[in-house]
Amino acid sequence: MKQNLASSVRFILLLFLNIECLNEQSPPGKPEVLKCRSPEMETFTCWWKPGSDSGLPTNYTLLYNKEGKEQIYECPDYRTAGPNSCYFDKKHTNLWTSYNISVKATNEAGSNISNPHYVDVTSIVQPDPPVNLSLQVIQSAGILYLWAKWSPPPLVDVRSGWLILHYELRLKSEEREEWETIFVGQQAHYKTFKLHPGLKYVVQVHCMLDHGEWSEWSSESYIQIPNGQPPGRPELLRCRSPEKETFTCWWKPGSDGGLPTNYTLFYSKEGDKSINECPDYRTAGPNSCYFGKKHTSLWAIYNITIKATNKMGSNISEPQYVDVTYIVQPDPPVNLSLEVKKQVDGKPYLLLKWYPPPLADVKSGWLTLEYKLRLKPEEGDEWEIIFVGQQTQYKLFSLNPGKKYIAQVHCKPDHGEWSEWSSESYIQIPSDIELKDVLVWIFVAVLSSVICLIIIWTVALKGFSMVACILPPVPGPKIKGLDTHLLETGRSDEFLSALGCQDFPPTSDCEDLLVEFLEVDDSEDQQLMPSHEKGHPSKNMKSTHKETDSDSGRGSCDSPFLLSERSRDPRILPSAFQTPDISEISENNARKNSCEIQSTDLKGKIPYFSIGGTKLSTWPEAQLPNNQTPKCSYHNITDVCKIALGTMNVTVTSILGGNEENQQSQYSKSTETISEEKLHKQGEVESLHSKADQDRMQLLPNEKSPFLSAKLMDYVEIHKVNQDGALAVLPKQKENNGKTENCTVPGTSKEYAKVSRVVDNSILVIIPVSRVQTTPMFQEPPKESVQNLQQSQTEKSMSYCFTTPSERKIDTGGLDYLDPTSFMCSFN
Amino acid sequence: MRAARKGYAWLCALLWLLGKPPGAVFVAICARQGDSSCRFLSVSDLFDRVIQHSDRLHSLSTALYLDLEKNFLPNGNELGKWTGKCHTSRMLTPNGKEYVQKIPREELTQLILRLLQAWKEPLSHFDQNIGHHQELSSDSLSKAKQISNMVHELKTGMEKVTEKMQSMGIISNSLNGMGSSEAAGLSISNEANVMSDYEFIHCFRRDSNKVQSYLKILKCRIWPGNSC
Repeated sequence: MKQNLASSVRFILLLFLNIECLNEQSPPGKPEVLKCRSPEMETFTCWWKPGSDSGLPTNYTLLYNKEGKEQIYECPDYRTAGPNSCYFDKKHTNLWTSYNISVKATNEAGSNISNPHYVDVTSIVQPDPPVNLSLQVIQSAGILYLWAKWSPPPLVDVRSGWLILHYELRLKSEEREEWETIFVGQQAHYKTFKLHPGLKYVVQVHCMLDHGEWSEWSSESYIQIPNGQPPGRPELLRCRSPEKETFTCWWKPGSDGGLPTNYTLFYSKEGDKSINECPDYRTAGPNSCYFGKKHTSLWAIYNITIKATNKMGSNISEPQYVDVTYIVQPDPPVNLSLEVKKQVDGKPYLLLKWYPPPLADVKSGWLTLEYKLRLKPEEGDEWEIIFVGQQTQYKLFSLNPGKKYIAQVHCKPDHGEWSEWSSESYIQIPSDIELKDVLVWIFVAVLSSVICLIIIWTVALKGFSMVACILPPVPGPKIKGLDTHLLETGRSDEFLSALGCQDFPPTSDCEDLLVEFLEVDDSEDQQLMPSHEKGHPSKNMKSTHKETDSDSGRGSCDSPFLLSERSRDPRILPSAFQTPDISEISENNARKNSCEIQSTDLKGKIPYFSIGGTKLSTWPEAQLPNNQTPKCSYHNITDVCKIALGTMNVTVTSILGGNEENQQSQYSKSTETISEEKLHKQGEVESLHSKADQDRMQLLPNEKSPFLSAKLMDYVEIHKVNQDGALAVLPKQKENNGKTENCTVPGTSKEYAKVSRVVDNSILVIIPVSRVQTTPMFQEPPKESVQNLQQSQTEKSMSYCFTTPSERKIDTGGLDYLDPTSFMCSFN
Repeated sequence: MRAARKGYAWLCALLWLLGKPPGAVFVAICARQGDSSCRFLSVSDLFDRVIQHSDRLHSLSTALYLDLEKNFLPNGNELGKWTGKCHTSRMLTPNGKEYVQKIPREELTQLILRLLQAWKEPLSHFDQNIGHHQELSSDSLSKAKQISNMVHELKTGMEKVTEKMQSMGIISNSLNGMGSSEAAGLSISNEANVMSDYEFIHCFRRDSNKVQSYLKILKCRIWPGNSC
């Protein structure tokens, strides 16, 4: 190397000397070796750049020497590689050898030599770009891709394996700037898939040897990616005949490849080799073919294919074989109607009716349809399916009332498929009739309870005034001592205060009972009639209670009527019943009875009063003022009655029994004993009562006496009044009297005679006391009443508010009244 | 098997019915001998029974067809391999409702009889030979036997009903003799032997359906409104 360097230095110095010494004109500029390249590692070429031109023609020579050799050579070939280049062919190219290359520019004025350039052929390899780049768009299995193919540069010997090339490909769509570069490898082709249809692409390739540099990019290649593709394969979905006369086939189109695609259906019939096209694409909608009657043959197999065609190509479906006989699926039945009907026994059933599908020709027998129903309650999940057969109606008996049902029907030909279900039909099953009844009853119950509440409310609110309106006049005025003026003009409070009995609270029992009797009191006719009415049930009803009721209450007060009715009634009173009756009555019914008695008392009093006034017309007038008073007086009475009535009832019943016995002599003996027993009991009761009376009287001395007397008076007076009063005042009463006459005991007739006298004297004064005890029961009360009346006469001003003297009389009255001997006598 | 027994019962009833001397418009049917509650069947009722019989025949043939398809052609949709040659294909039969309705009653009756006749021989032959298929179940074999018998009975029944209808004047007596159809049947039966069992049953299934459809149309034409 040192020798080399020394020689080259010498060479350069010589050149310099030449330039400076020989030529005054400027020598050429210094040239420069640009590059040396070997395209295939067999040859190589070097290029230089001339230096500044001095104006003189300049000659360039390339001089080189090889590594390890001092000999200097000139370029073997200035032409092949063009101007300013030197081509070293295979002969002059040694691999694995360094070349020292310089360029000498020479003209007349001198020469100039470039800097030396050292080159190793293996390291300066740069192949030519690949050639013959071809592009192709390929579709396979519906996928579109770009196929790029090229050849290696022609100089490079690839086949011998001497050199191995590596390629790179770049592409972009035409309007884009950036390239997409893809390393391909050693193969000279490439597939790319990421393409947008409709765009134009630019593609280039370059290559490289194992060592060295990438070649230049090959020339650009262009390709237009097509916008569509051939259609996908269509598919025949199914064929269906709704009525076994025509049929329709539907198909599913494949992908259309982005291009307008045409579908055609071809068919060939069995035994017919010609291929026909679908006769009607329209009737059955898109992607379908309708075969009319003309084109439909039964019992022949159709071979059907569908062809899809577009610009890019065509595709044919798999053939399908169809036998019209077995593709019958009718339309669903129509007009499904639901109706709830009633059986003979009133139970509801559901009648379902429908019609076969209009297309199906059932009448000619061409098609035989069978039906299936399904129904469920609206909220239910499970359908109940009923096979109906060939009928077009069905009766359903098992129904849940009050539910809404959904029903559907479908049909099937004898060899075919079930149709779709018909549209849903709804029906509301009416709820059971029993339920209705219950509702009605509930309604009635509610209504009636409301009415009751209203009545109770009004009574509670306006109790006083209502009672006043309805109630009969207070019997008070009959007593002479009573202040009639106060009754008429004064308020009830005042009146009651006068009586001294405000403290007694009203009881509903009494009010009700009073109401009953109020009706009676309005006129004498009415008075009598209700008593009859009451008398009847008491007799007809065998229950002992009623009997005793009437006995105790009425009997004591209204005895004449009761008796008369009883006597008319040939009914036999069993002895066994009577005794318990009495006891029961006296014990249990005392209070109730007392009320009745009171009311009857009123009755008795009223007529009495009226007589006193000598006018019947005055009655109502008298009632009005008295209306306010009754309550107090009645309640007072009740208490009194409680005490007194026990005894009263007993006596009365016994008497009644006696009466009947008298009339019906057969039973006289038994009744006697009964009566005896009664009397005994009575005696006991009486004694008890009398004790109670006394106690009470101590507590309430005022109240008892007048009322007791009043009762007794009623009892007797009614008779008297009726009879006598009828004569004097009320002719209507005679009828009643007529009735009573039958039953009156002979003893009473005497009484009446006496009484009539009394009546003549205008009511009150008449009755002789002594006889009463001897006379039968009916006559006892008159005596007392007379006493009371006398009292009342004497004590006009005092009226109902009783003074102490009255007590005594009551006591005596009670005693008289209770005296068993008198009864015994009378009945015997 | 139950269905089969039922079918036999039907057959017996039908035969018994049809075996009665013709001429009477109504036929007495008794549930038991000596049963006083005998009732009379009209010809239309008899016709109904013939239809039911044909219905049953078709169902049986369908069942057997499916059996064979399962055994020999397991790939399904094998109609395509079908050569399309039934031995009855030569007979001109209406293949649509309107065509059927256009044909006079007598011709239709005759057509039905001819179709049945054409199958009588081949079916009995088929019944005898199908036994060699080891893979077929005994059920399929019994079906084949049943079909063979039923066609025979159906034809007999149809002839009886035809006679009755003729005697009643419902259809005219202008039917051609059976000779020609029998001859056709004989000539056809040779072709039938060439067919595979599968094709054979396919053809029969088709023709039994034809018979059934023709019978229904015929019945509704003669007695319209009676369940039509």
